[in-house]
Amino acid sequence: MFDATGLFCADCTTGMISGRASRSRISGGSDPVHDRGGDISGEGREMQIRSGRTTAPPSLDSLDSSIIDILRTNGRATNQEIAERLSITAATVSARLQKMEEARVMRVVAVTDFAAHGYNVIIALGVKVQGRDIGDVGRDLAELPQVLSVNVMNGDYDIELLVALHDFSEVQNFLFQHIAVIDGVMHIASGIAVDIVKFEFNVVPL
Amino acid sequence: MKPEQRWECLDRLDQGIVERLARDARISNRAIAAELGVTEGTIRTRIKRLQNEGLIQFTVITDFRMAGSPNLTMMGIKVDPSQVSGLARRLSDIPEITCVVVLLGRYSLLAMGLFTSVEQMNDVIVEHIRPLPGVQSVETSISVDSLKYEPGIAKITRARAID
Repeated sequence: MFDATGLFCADCTTGMISGRASRSRISGGSDPVHDRGGDISGEGREMQIRSGRTTAPPSLDSLDSSIIDILRTNGRATNQEIAERLSITAATVSARLQKMEEARVMRVVAVTDFAAHGYNVIIALGVKVQGRDIGDVGRDLAELPQVLSVNVMNGDYDIELLVALHDFSEVQNFLFQHIAVIDGVMHIASGIAVDIVKFEFNVVPL
Repeated sequence: MKPEQRWECLDRLDQGIVERLARDARISNRAIAAELGVTEGTIRTRIKRLQNEGLIQFTVITDFRMAGSPNLTMMGIKVDPSQVSGLARRLSDIPEITCVVVLLGRYSLLAMGLFTSVEQMNDVIVEHIRPLPGVQSVETSISVDSLKYEPGIAKITRARAID
């Protein structure tokens, strides 16, 4: 199930070519790849576009994966509790976690609900850009604290934003005084979220 | 069980706890208690309550690379207005779809998914979304660069709450 020989190696500096090589070396898993971090199957990699970083995944050994599994169900389990369940020392748990976080493999996060921040208005905003580099516009938008996510898109709209505001009285000011005034923003289309039925982002850019 | 809107505000202690957990989700109750000048038991009770109310959740997020470097795809879906709620539920039943939002304005529904190939994405849209009764059109846009993502703020849906 796990790659037995794959000692955890954080080859973040490996280029695209050697990245592919290291992926094929550890290929062969048939499980859904998102279930087991160490089980990277080799097919279907046509799209490799990521934020300017290499896409070569560091490999995890079964101990790393077991630690991740425990934290998935209880992110607040202490190192001691994890260590006891896996019959290892708390120091090992601590070292493994630190290594994985440093390699940007995983992070344990406290996810708070929009409501806990008093965000009652969530808007999916499409932005069309003209006369300026889309990435530059996106980086300007990313600086706004109300903007939770910024994605450069290849579709009808150049940039998609997820915006969180406290109430409707803030909408007009935010859209016209903060978004529209950014150089290069030509058109905005807003969709107001009235119900968020599913929201599962466990795989993210770290 | 539809997650209802929770308007009540967190008090100062809750806010202090949430702030510290946002910085480091693995910080011990004892450390939070010492910083905020309350007992460890109080911290434990408060965190439990926040979890029960679906306001906070602790989880592992993994990097794109560990899932085969998928691309985030957004699907703007226009549907028969009388069928929006039912379709939202059916879309969230599709495992590949990670996010479903009922919208006013641009589209009726916004769905998102992570796909490692164009074929996989097309399969989900053509086989699982377009045939659903009431779906009028699906407009697809693929993210080519993620410039910002705040993993700490999200909608905690009942299905996700494990604790």
